[in-house]
Amino acid sequence: MAIKGYYGKLLDINLTTGEIKKTEIPEEDIKRFIGGRGLGTKILWDKLPNPGVDPFSPENALLFMPGPFSGLPIPSSSRTCVVTKSPRTSAINTKYKHGSTVSYSNMGGFFGPEIKFAGYDGICVTGKADKPVYIKIEDDKVEILDATKFWGMGTEELDNALIDELGDRKFESCYIGPAGENLVPMACILNTAARAAGRGGTGSVMGSKNLKAIAVKGTQSPKLGDHKKYLELLSQVRISFRDDNKDSLKWWRYGGTANALESSSKNGTQAVKNYSEGTYEEIEKIGTEANREKVWKRDFACFSCALACKKSGIAKGSYSVMVHDGPEYETGTMLGANLLISDLTGLQKLIAVSDDYGIDIISVGNTIGFLMEAYEKGIIDKSDLDGMSLNWGDVQASLEMIRKISTKEGIGEQASKGVKYLAEHLGHDSHKFAIHVKGHELAAWNVPVNSDYWSITYATSNRGACHMNGGSPESQDLAALRDSIAACSFASSWYKEELSYSQFLSVITGLEWTEEDFAKAGTRIFTLEKMFNYREGFNIEDDTLPPKFFENKFTVGDHKGAIVNRSEFKRNLRDYYKLRAWDTRTSKPKDETLKDLDLDFTIA
Amino acid sequence: MSNYKIYTRRHFLQDVTLGGGGLIILGALGFRIFKDQERNLIKAISIDFEKCAGCRTCETVCSAFNNPITIDGEQMNGLGNPYLSNIKVHHFNPDVDVPVTCALCDDTPCINACPVSPDLITGRKALYRDNNMTIKNDIERCIGCKQCAKACENLRGGIIHPNPITNKPERMCTLCDGNPSCVDNCPFGALAYVEMPIDRDLENLAPAKIAEKLIEQLYQLNV
Repeated sequence: MAIKGYYGKLLDINLTTGEIKKTEIPEEDIKRFIGGRGLGTKILWDKLPNPGVDPFSPENALLFMPGPFSGLPIPSSSRTCVVTKSPRTSAINTKYKHGSTVSYSNMGGFFGPEIKFAGYDGICVTGKADKPVYIKIEDDKVEILDATKFWGMGTEELDNALIDELGDRKFESCYIGPAGENLVPMACILNTAARAAGRGGTGSVMGSKNLKAIAVKGTQSPKLGDHKKYLELLSQVRISFRDDNKDSLKWWRYGGTANALESSSKNGTQAVKNYSEGTYEEIEKIGTEANREKVWKRDFACFSCALACKKSGIAKGSYSVMVHDGPEYETGTMLGANLLISDLTGLQKLIAVSDDYGIDIISVGNTIGFLMEAYEKGIIDKSDLDGMSLNWGDVQASLEMIRKISTKEGIGEQASKGVKYLAEHLGHDSHKFAIHVKGHELAAWNVPVNSDYWSITYATSNRGACHMNGGSPESQDLAALRDSIAACSFASSWYKEELSYSQFLSVITGLEWTEEDFAKAGTRIFTLEKMFNYREGFNIEDDTLPPKFFENKFTVGDHKGAIVNRSEFKRNLRDYYKLRAWDTRTSKPKDETLKDLDLDFTIA
Repeated sequence: MSNYKIYTRRHFLQDVTLGGGGLIILGALGFRIFKDQERNLIKAISIDFEKCAGCRTCETVCSAFNNPITIDGEQMNGLGNPYLSNIKVHHFNPDVDVPVTCALCDDTPCINACPVSPDLITGRKALYRDNNMTIKNDIERCIGCKQCAKACENLRGGIIHPNPITNKPERMCTLCDGNPSCVDNCPFGALAYVEMPIDRDLENLAPAKIAEKLIEQLYQLNV
């Protein structure tokens, strides 16, 4: 008997042997790590007993983890977390050639719920198929099928081709594009041709397994611990979504995160010109109103969500293109403001092409920004760029770079490895403007303004620089919990007091989850990730920020002159370790901290 | 637009207006109640395809209401697995979402296709129209021939789904005892339970056809 709200079942597929198992997930692990990101990391820990495994080797595990909320119509709570060992990160000093962090990447849409409907709490893929394959799951029936005909296809074409092949629109699928096939480390996994598990190189791990897609469809539901109380909470939270925080609901529907393009620019928190500035003077050209007026036609929601923050439309002009989701804050900043691109249809084209190749827009935008700065500074010239020029604001050159990176052609081979590698390769102090932590590029929120929050956020994220990490232990633990139950951070303001996540988790499982237990589980999950990284050779010197933030002052906007104070950062970091009860000399969680969190098994 | 109609509320209003005769507009949304002496009206679920955001909340509430469970002798809503829902939202790329549910067709091609002889007293075949206008199946008399599902698939929206074990028809809208859950819970106001002319366009209810038209309207990809 599994814990209520779960099946206690992991679909465990080895693509080398073709073996398909339905393995039992220990109850203790479900109680300690909940689901999604937390349970995924625990399974990864068990699958990789030794550090230093090559992320592209068959041994690496690629996990697709819904959470206990997935598939239940709890509003805005049906995300899926992809967990694997990262192909993106590396430590400054490590004993292992392939030492890298955990990677977790979260996507919305409909894929996670369907995994639950098929009767599983997660899917684990190991091994490597000897030819391109896709996995088809219909409840108990699981098949590994030939995907040769799909290999090379962009995600846009594949999205429809898969449905044609399956003959049933009710399958939900996720897949990689050519970038993942080409083992471009910054490749991502998408569903519905737009929603991405974007960060942390998940798509290249999928490509390394010769796995093009997973399609799933199911008919089942787990039993709940307290069904009646669950129905009561559900109806209350639906009323809350209807009646409370109306401005917030309106904000999400009107522009989604794209609304932040203009506000963040005004506040000096936007990544502009490879993070040299926090304000982009032309931001309104690519902001919400411009998009509402010229491009967006429809708002789209994920499973059982009332926010509908995804916008689709059609961009017309020099770069005519179907828009599935764009821009939102990250994509609009990384391929817009960060590259000084304000041509709206050009931006839409860049986003659409990146999605089609299946590449992480945050990392690719950051990397192109780095190359533009190197080009401006004369560290590289046309001869390094296969004859191309690469000036700020050049849409055509950016499109060409995305193509080169996704196909590893010419300069794209090196650029596909991201800014840390490029800086080591190019030299000339270019590491000072290589905007990454642990090898993972920073996202669209710039650091110097609100630096107390953002510097801790980026320096301490377990997957390398991550804007969703949170800037304090408390917010980090809550983010880890949301990623574990499968809730969307955008809707968290509706889940409080008697409608808190822990209340829902209690009625789903029938176990009493106090606020305290719940918070502790968040700490446990975050700390397990930290221990994974520690085992891989990451140390205190890896919790750092790119030098640019300590050396470069903003020159425009309301926050002209903003810069990060190095000693303040060091002090904040030290305070952070103390709050975590981690060793302030090594950043390693103390043994008693680990024991208190039931993480004894991580003590070597 | 050719002879094809997507039944949004606006079009519906247009139709009724053009159809003429005693139109009274009332209610918050402006077009809730129609009185028309000349034409027969039916109260059914209308779908505004332009408002639907594809969240599938309708599927979950339909499934929950129509597949109740009993715990300690008390009957209550089920978990709402969309597989068991009578309303279905179909996703398409380019992005449109098409919810479809039983249209309570006046001419009932599903019932026409039912080969079971009418009951001598009630006049009902195995598949029949109930007093509240919904389509019901008498599972005792149904032979599981799937003709009703084929008729719906070929001529209407393809709503009827034969049970995978018994082959007997399922997924006909029940109107949830007069208060459709899908309408009540749609976060985007895309569904309404309204009176509409009984002789409305029923020829083009297939999701793929509706999607094609919506895509053309919204994105004008070929222009």
